[in-house]
Amino acid sequence: MPWVDVLLSGQLLFAALVTGSLYALVALGLNLVYGTMRMLNVAHGDLVMLGAYAAYWAFTLAGISPLVAAPVIAVIGGAVGYGLYRGLFRRLLGGAQVDAGRVEANSLLLFFGLSIILQNVAALAFTPNNRAYQYLDEVVHLGNVSMTGNRIAALAIAGGTCIGVAAFLSRSVAGLAMRAVIERREAAYIVGVDVDRVQWSSFALGFGCAGLAGVLLSMLEQFSPFSGFPFTVAGFIVIILGGLGNLLAGLAAALLLGAIETYGVALTSANLRSVLLYAVFVAALVLFPNGLLARLKGRR
Amino acid sequence: MNASRRAWTLGGLAGAAALLALPAFGNDYVVGVGLTVLMWIALTQSWCVLSKMTGYVSLGHVVFYGLGAYLVVVTWQQVPLAFAVLGAGLLAAAFAALVGLPVLRVRGPYFVILSFGVSELVKFSIMAAESASGTASRILFGAPDLSVIYYAMAALALAATLLLGWVSRSRFGHGLRSLRENEEAAETLGVPIVRLKLLAFVLSAVIPGMVGGVMATRSTYFVVGQVFDPMVSITVIAMAIIGGGDDAKGPLLGVVFLALLSELLWARAPLLYMVILGAILIVFVLVLPNGLAGLAARGRTAARPPDARAAP
Repeated sequence: MPWVDVLLSGQLLFAALVTGSLYALVALGLNLVYGTMRMLNVAHGDLVMLGAYAAYWAFTLAGISPLVAAPVIAVIGGAVGYGLYRGLFRRLLGGAQVDAGRVEANSLLLFFGLSIILQNVAALAFTPNNRAYQYLDEVVHLGNVSMTGNRIAALAIAGGTCIGVAAFLSRSVAGLAMRAVIERREAAYIVGVDVDRVQWSSFALGFGCAGLAGVLLSMLEQFSPFSGFPFTVAGFIVIILGGLGNLLAGLAAALLLGAIETYGVALTSANLRSVLLYAVFVAALVLFPNGLLARLKGRR
Repeated sequence: MNASRRAWTLGGLAGAAALLALPAFGNDYVVGVGLTVLMWIALTQSWCVLSKMTGYVSLGHVVFYGLGAYLVVVTWQQVPLAFAVLGAGLLAAAFAALVGLPVLRVRGPYFVILSFGVSELVKFSIMAAESASGTASRILFGAPDLSVIYYAMAALALAATLLLGWVSRSRFGHGLRSLRENEEAAETLGVPIVRLKLLAFVLSAVIPGMVGGVMATRSTYFVVGQVFDPMVSITVIAMAIIGGGDDAKGPLLGVVFLALLSELLWARAPLLYMVILGAILIVFVLVLPNGLAGLAARGRTAARPPDARAAP
């Protein structure tokens, strides 16, 4: 296929949108936890992987449709996030003042250890093999674009959730409090925002988004205990490119990454998918060397 | 303090003598274990030259190892092996010098994930190039004798230990420590931080490049993904954290502890090994951020009378 046709193909646009919306959902959760608590959750992608396994077992063992399982798994993910926050991270963080540098460096190695444990425990429990199931895979034609039902459903759910969370953050009082903590933590604390409540709710919301993204992943492609990590990398790229607390820019960055990956692979070869992902990752970090914190400070 | 230094010297000398005598007495399996211990010593000590001294925690140390191994394999039986191994060290150093400036501008947790990303990018790029040219794996014939490999590795482990010992005591090392404690303050006081960081990065790259080159001769069947395995980087960090301390002694404790664990488990139960490694990482970060050496030092300080502690 000549490259002009590649770029104009509706099929690829659809594929890029599906990938991008999934990345947006993953990055949203990562961004919430990072934004409110300054912790880079390296294990975020592994939560996605666990969500995928939950949906897989619900479907293959009990015949539960992933669309029914999705909200349940998201709520379970949120509950796990709440529990972890109460049991471990609140103590780790101490009071309202967060020394960003120290917490970030320590928590990174901590989450790295957690990520290794989750991946390998999953591999011990579920075998390291790839898994997949067939659900809603009949083809729908729209113009000259053919789409499978599961991809349309995934796009709708991921896109809808992202828009819903964005509306929550910009319209509701609780959402505004969350953004206040992300943008100016001390100021939010002084004007009476319940920082503790904001932290547990963003932890729960972030983990819930990860679980939901896992369900969608399991509907789309095969996965293994090690499928989570690329999502962590993608999530990092999105929040570095998009910006902390800037959710619309984050959505755009996720769609951009989906497009880079989909079109890049289509124009070159599938072998280059990881090369592309890591090249964008390295480029994003080198161009914004001190991450988002410094950019945010610079803007003030 | 003097007693503990004497204990360290004696222990170190006894350990070194045992390691040097190993090929004369042990069978191939035992020599293989000794080789692994020496390899981890060389890798961890060289990692400390950058990461422990400056606080720039690199999660991509394996990239130098992989590049060195790859160079030796690509030039297999076309270049004398000794030159290839030296070339491996030079290649790793050149790579560090090339990427050092942009990469070392990135700080804190961003440097950690960036170093990991650079390592993975190199791995996937070489893998893509290999599969494009149709060589996914290679079989190597005519590797040198095990004892030759062993003594080459012993020399590298010694070199890495001496390097870290020298850096730790030198003026250069004090400069590195100053930028670990407060980079802005060090820069304001006229410490040439950019030059120091880059030099430490290049120095820390040479030895793992040569280690990779030497270890490549051990593998009769060579796969690119294996020599760039990120687990090597993670193991190195775990060893350094377990050991703790600020000089060349601390990492040795961690290496001996983890090398034996990895020897027992990596081949037979790799998943379980990784779970234990992750757990160790979490426990040491949360409970013992200064490692075993820090634990020993704390014991010593507590044992001393209070007036000695108060003295500046």
